[in-house]
Amino acid sequence: MNGWTGKVLRVNLTEGSVAIQDLDLETVSLVMGGRGLGVKILCDEIDPKANALEAHNKLIFATGPLTGTGAIASALCSVTTKSPLTGGIACASVLGNFGAELKFSGFDAIIIEGKSKFPVYLSIMDDKVRLLPALHLWGRTTTYTEKLIKAEMGDLWKAREMCIVSIGPAGEKIANIASLVHEDFMAFGGSGLGAVMGTKNLKAVAVRGTKGVKVAHGNRFLLNTSHLLKRIEKDPLISEKVRNLGTTFLVETLHQMGFLPSKNFQAAVFNGIKNVDSQALARSILCGHRSCLACPMACLKTTETKKPPFDGKGTGLDYNTIAMLGPNLGIDHLLAIAKAYYLCVQLGIDPISVGAAIATATELYEKGILSELDAGQSFRFGKSENLIPLINLIGEGNGFGCILGTGAFRIAKDYEHMESFMGAKGRELPPYDPRGIQGMGLHFATSNSGAYHLDGFTVIDEVLGIHGEPHPLETEGKAWKVKLFQDLTAVLNAMGICPLSLMCIWIDDMVTMVNDVLETHYEVDDILKIGERIWNLERLFNIKAGFTGADDTLSERLLSEPIPDGPAKGSILHLDKLLPEYYRLRGWNEQGIPTEEKLKDLGL
Amino acid sequence: MERIRIDYNKCTGCRRCEIACSLSHVLDTINPRKARIRVMKEGDQFFPVIAGPFTDAACNSKGILVLGGMVYDQCALCRASCPTKPTIFREPDTDIPLKCDFCMLLDQPGPSCVKWCTFGALTLVEE
Repeated sequence: MNGWTGKVLRVNLTEGSVAIQDLDLETVSLVMGGRGLGVKILCDEIDPKANALEAHNKLIFATGPLTGTGAIASALCSVTTKSPLTGGIACASVLGNFGAELKFSGFDAIIIEGKSKFPVYLSIMDDKVRLLPALHLWGRTTTYTEKLIKAEMGDLWKAREMCIVSIGPAGEKIANIASLVHEDFMAFGGSGLGAVMGTKNLKAVAVRGTKGVKVAHGNRFLLNTSHLLKRIEKDPLISEKVRNLGTTFLVETLHQMGFLPSKNFQAAVFNGIKNVDSQALARSILCGHRSCLACPMACLKTTETKKPPFDGKGTGLDYNTIAMLGPNLGIDHLLAIAKAYYLCVQLGIDPISVGAAIATATELYEKGILSELDAGQSFRFGKSENLIPLINLIGEGNGFGCILGTGAFRIAKDYEHMESFMGAKGRELPPYDPRGIQGMGLHFATSNSGAYHLDGFTVIDEVLGIHGEPHPLETEGKAWKVKLFQDLTAVLNAMGICPLSLMCIWIDDMVTMVNDVLETHYEVDDILKIGERIWNLERLFNIKAGFTGADDTLSERLLSEPIPDGPAKGSILHLDKLLPEYYRLRGWNEQGIPTEEKLKDLGL
Repeated sequence: MERIRIDYNKCTGCRRCEIACSLSHVLDTINPRKARIRVMKEGDQFFPVIAGPFTDAACNSKGILVLGGMVYDQCALCRASCPTKPTIFREPDTDIPLKCDFCMLLDQPGPSCVKWCTFGALTLVEE
């Protein structure tokens, strides 16, 4: 079967049983695969109202038809589940080599259900699928877990080829902001998924395979991809910025435009920006570049800090981490930020969420709502010595770390000061000020998985200006653009391509790649329709889980207070203007619920 | 004679060379395990290794370690498809050793791995 292996693995942790099913080709033609497949299975099999942290919830690792084929940035494996953070759908992207390895082992997807009585890990070595005891891995950091699992393999050369996704101690302690880690870097958007894996007592999934993926038109695929690669090499954004600095160049770009949040979105000017921007990074700690499978962008940066107590080494320090653990906490100490990131990876905590949680706690403390007695320590914006002990506390699940681990939303709720929480649907806002970047604002408000930027990364258009002059503050045409990006990203995730690849490829390239591999005759409109179908499916899941149109909003501060200072001073998010237009374009009614005819049109 | 030059420092571990190699040898299937080039990771560094013949001379650098009565050979990242490395550079279905044959990417001259390496880690040099 072209692009697919045709088999789906179903693992029941309660019974400890494993079953192999055929891939449902009808579903695949409707929703492509990956994220689409995950959402479809969740909609069919679980009750959207059930608690995310119960055995009833399922965790679906799903690859797309292009995963592992060598198409541009085709490394993605979607992980879909009901999120403990938002209570709605959540979809993370595990990059690196995991998705491809899963394909090579002969499976397109893994459905994990139930709950094991004791810690286990799932080992897939081609057809040999086993659930193995993981008591010895429990409590270990993610890097150490990977090493121990590889050591168990026995054969050094086979162990080299193994790909492992694991949770750290934070996931075991069911911290809401725990994430998944693979090959020493975080899964994108994995906040909350570590907790789901933790409740299932599943420590890791290890895969190795020796089978291949079939491609329909090998010749054409080789040639088209070669042409595409040549074009990408000439792209100045990729060759000069992304390859050298990853996404960290956004630190100064967004700060110059006034969209970099500082001190929990209370300011947009950050004095220490020179100490944390990409130039500082390149000068001091950058030591290497790394790609996921078949990615021509190499946005993962390897960094090394040598000075104790911040010494360490890690991969994947990016814009979001620097901005959330740096300026958003008022910290201008790059070494401390890097060290905090390494710790997040070791403990399996999402760095965006942890930055937001500490920022919320700090704001509450500075306003005198959170007392030193409660928190066990004092908080101050700009206090870098606090950062590392706090992250350790979350990993251990001790003291105030236990509360921080529940996420910014629950901290603000506990202390009855919701204005200190920045985000949407209970999920923390990534560092793109929605009052400045209007499209991002609308996306954060309407996103199905809460405020998660990569599900509709309009920054590519609105800040980087890849398709013409950027106009972040204008509202004209933004609703349309957000819808386009959301649908595009949904279908990219479903194909198995990293959403950041939108920096160098566009819809027509995607259509060529998918047609070469699958021998289909998709047009641009068909692809976008698949994306829209996935988006609406997620929306329906969320509506059944209890969300309404009233949840399509952001935190109070982001709607009522304009940006206080900086180049974008005074700008506000025109959500009242954008939202009705967005609903109209989506074919939803005024309450944000998909209409009958829209669903019929999409075949749902 | 043309040779493939490997610059380790430029390799980012995208494994595009493995994919290109396997795809140009078996035109309808992508399987890095059948590739004649493999990217190995040691620490944070990636090493592309091109399959070559197994010669005794290649094993000269090998060291033997005895720890707790067990014998370990310090076989490192060499390019031989030899019996010590049962899974590297061997066709997984048939166990036939694989060796780089300086393939062409369709009708364009030059090995396909070099053509698909966008980071300049693999280049073709005249020696």
